[in-house]
Amino acid sequence: MAETLEKEITKKKSEALLSKRRKKFVLDPLNDDNPITIQVLGICSALAVTTQLKPTLVMAMSVTFVMIFSSLFTSLLRNLIPTRVRIIVQLAIIASFVILVNEVLHAYAYDVYKQLSVFVGLIITNCIVMGRLEAFAMGNKPYDSVLDAFGSAMGYSWIIIAVAFFRELLGSGKLFGFEIFSAIGWSSFPTNGLMVSPVGAFIILGLIIWVQRSKSGYVEQH
Amino acid sequence: MQRSNTYVILFSLVLTIILGGLLSLASVGLRPAQKKAEEFAKKRQILSAVLDIEQVPDIVTEYNSRISSYIVNANGETVEQESPAGELLKAEDLDIEKEFKKDPADRLYPVYRFHTEGNPEDIEAYILAMYGKGLWNDIWGYIALATDMNTVVGIVFDHKGETAGLGSRITDKAIQERYKGKKIFDDSGEIASVSMLKGENNKPASIDDHNINGLSGATITAKGVNYMMIDYLNYYLPLIESLKKGEVVAVSMLNTKN
Amino acid sequence: MELISLGVKSIFIENMVFAYFLGMCSYLAVSKKVSTAFGLGLAVIFVLAFTVPVNWILNEYVLTEGALAKWIPASLGDFSTVNLSFLQFIMFIATIAAMVQLVEMFIEKFSPALYGSLGIFLPLIAVNCAILGSSLFMAQRSYTIAEATVFGFSSGIGFFLAIIAIAAIREKMKYSQVPDGLKGLGITMLLTGLMGIAFMSFLGISI
Repeated sequence: MAETLEKEITKKKSEALLSKRRKKFVLDPLNDDNPITIQVLGICSALAVTTQLKPTLVMAMSVTFVMIFSSLFTSLLRNLIPTRVRIIVQLAIIASFVILVNEVLHAYAYDVYKQLSVFVGLIITNCIVMGRLEAFAMGNKPYDSVLDAFGSAMGYSWIIIAVAFFRELLGSGKLFGFEIFSAIGWSSFPTNGLMVSPVGAFIILGLIIWVQRSKSGYVEQH
Repeated sequence: MQRSNTYVILFSLVLTIILGGLLSLASVGLRPAQKKAEEFAKKRQILSAVLDIEQVPDIVTEYNSRISSYIVNANGETVEQESPAGELLKAEDLDIEKEFKKDPADRLYPVYRFHTEGNPEDIEAYILAMYGKGLWNDIWGYIALATDMNTVVGIVFDHKGETAGLGSRITDKAIQERYKGKKIFDDSGEIASVSMLKGENNKPASIDDHNINGLSGATITAKGVNYMMIDYLNYYLPLIESLKKGEVVAVSMLNTKN
Repeated sequence: MELISLGVKSIFIENMVFAYFLGMCSYLAVSKKVSTAFGLGLAVIFVLAFTVPVNWILNEYVLTEGALAKWIPASLGDFSTVNLSFLQFIMFIATIAAMVQLVEMFIEKFSPALYGSLGIFLPLIAVNCAILGSSLFMAQRSYTIAEATVFGFSSGIGFFLAIIAIAAIREKMKYSQVPDGLKGLGITMLLTGLMGIAFMSFLGISI
């Protein structure tokens, strides 16, 4: 803490590339202000793709890409975008980047592309992306917006990767398609079909939220 | 900030043109790679009906050197037809999903010949395409028959959206292995196909040349697979009969291109 | 008959919320009271029943390969190889946003009472994944126009059922002792999981 403070003072004239204020943009969404577990955003796509780690990782990367670039783009244009049509402009920007991701996946990762099917398209309506554009990128400088987007995307990513880790491990006894239990000589590991079904996703996410919230002490009032 | 209507319209117009242009560029630029990826996936699937795909080092080379293909109609006659682009329609380019929507008598059916390694004159197996309905959505697959046109050499299935962990198990190797060595004709020479029974723990006595263990918890998917197989074996029957009699001996040239 | 089967399937078995996790954001945010959940549910049915067929028309006559050739006379040029499907996402979302606006204006004009209860939810719906998701599923599964309409409408009903049910349970949950960390989102997730199990019992029904 003290160290970062000192750094702050020495570089007071021009703000550091990763000043305390900026670090906050990145670190907050990872835990205290996590988009999924605290702000309850972007859950739709978080669950549907998490039966296996590989598509989940691709999904996380796609969301990160879309978030960073649409934030950058929106932030650059923020003084030009007419207020009355800003929502549709944001949607158009997001949709364009999503289409780009979709086309690239189609060309270079056809397997995953087929597995993710419509859920790549649904990044468009992922509330995290829209939410950050509206709440942050519309009113902040490009570099800050990119950091903020990166932070939120990472907060989203680690949660869905955690969910996928448990679902693939318990549901099919594999990690990244590798038979983990037969590899350690426990080939009779009873895999749980419920974990592969949508129900497993709800329950695992519910439990992750419980653990995460009891650690951070966040309590939601009814 | 309030802007004039002209500004709003102009802004939207410019943004549309820029984004639209960029997207068209990306789409056109990536189209060849996308087509290649689709073809690769299809070739991989066809090959995996006859080979252990994990052991194949280069799928495209293997495919081009060992598979040749042609198209037949419902009467088992070879069809040569032009594709929309004006070239000769290849079996690989046939969209089986589109064919499936036509009347069975009007459909075109692809036939893939699997040649012995190093000897393109010799045929090891015939691979036939199948398409049908599972529980939720479409299922499809390829069945490889030995040259006696009776013994199943291998089979591969895929699906659009069967239940994960239940119906989706039709893509499991272990389940597809069950079809190996089974017969599609019964003793009287009628198509009997190979069917999955209900559940997985059937008495050994009920497992024979035409019946194998099914999928517990996914009876409807298994039924869909059974119907698909018997339907398509019957659609291909004229071809199967003529190949059985050894009528088609001439082996056309292998695809040397692509 | 097949349409009825498709309807039942989209309402119960392939429920937007329980089977595909679509519309979760609004499902979680607006399910604290039954009355508001009711309003949102109705609005979703409304918008889905309109947008899915409209997007079907767009997809059939503008986006897919050769679609333009169906109505542009050949004298204007050969459009049979034009494939605009890469614009699918952006077209669908634009249609949805526009349709939501239209529906909103329409209701405001003809039924102020309904507007009073639905009005505030309509803008929310433009970014509801269930709406875009249904259109994308429709395109992916190559439905006919009749199927698309039934699918849109019954997907809406499925969402309506789910959100009313969870809102009713959450109203009761107020009187339960829930561990602090689980309050709100956590317990709702677990509840949704349990409801998902109940809906799974419809699996395999075919009509």
